[in-house]
Amino acid sequence: MAEHATLWRPRGAWDLYAHAGRHGRSEGPAGVTATPREGLALMSVTAVDGAEERLAAALRDRFGLSLPEPGGALFSGETGLIWSGPGQWLALAPTRGDLDGFGETLKGLAAVADQSDGRAVLRLSGPDARRVLEKGVSVDLHPRAFGPGHTAVTAVAHIGVQLWQRDDAPTYEIAVARSFAGSLWSWLEEAAAEFGCEVRVA
Amino acid sequence: MRIRCPYCGERDNGEFSYLGDAAPVRPDGMEASPQAMHDYVYLRDNRAGEIRELWYHGAGCRAWLVVTRDTRTHTVADVQPARDVAKARAVTPAGSASHA
Repeated sequence: MAEHATLWRPRGAWDLYAHAGRHGRSEGPAGVTATPREGLALMSVTAVDGAEERLAAALRDRFGLSLPEPGGALFSGETGLIWSGPGQWLALAPTRGDLDGFGETLKGLAAVADQSDGRAVLRLSGPDARRVLEKGVSVDLHPRAFGPGHTAVTAVAHIGVQLWQRDDAPTYEIAVARSFAGSLWSWLEEAAAEFGCEVRVA
Repeated sequence: MRIRCPYCGERDNGEFSYLGDAAPVRPDGMEASPQAMHDYVYLRDNRAGEIRELWYHGAGCRAWLVVTRDTRTHTVADVQPARDVAKARAVTPAGSASHA
């Protein structure tokens, strides 16, 4: 059957905003590197009342990870479970489709909703990544209070975000409702300019 | 003013929205007298001192909280998940569980 010509094509959540290259201060090494995380699989998981233990067992079978405590995020490579509210978590996997059928797996244990296209995720790393984020959030990101395996649901410039720390490079990831990606990006551009920002687009 | 959310830790009060006094319990609608309903909807103490009140952590974990705050100093003495408070209240002082 012949392919139908179409103007519709998939577009990454950051495509309109994240342009590869050096932005802001141009002298010296970039203080922060921003990498759009496109093509992830992301699901919200809300435990059925009273089923948390069985849910934890099912997720341990699936990911080899236990259910993170409030404020916690656990990773195994690029796969992770991230606390996002009382009785609520995000499940993250590197490739779209990795979590297909997840709702069926957790039937009776949790309500599962696909957020892969609903949230836009950005990775921020580099020596000044923390200083950039600190300009936006009222959460203490100093290593004595926040480190790898920690997550916070909060707001940046009145935009609801969830961020988590991957390692102490430091590398953070920040998730935002997809339609707010442009607004968050305009904040980030300004906040990162003084440190020099390298945008890497795959 | 900061509120120490039991889930998220200490956060700026801008992340929360305020509902009001946590004490009033809605009378059983079909049985309640107009007077009881009126009192539930409209009557509040305006205390200078400690009050337990409902706050919603909308910009954070989206949990309802019962915050014990001193209205004279804004000192927050205690914060509990509203869910836990409601569950504790569903058990009558005699220890027998009432309808959920």
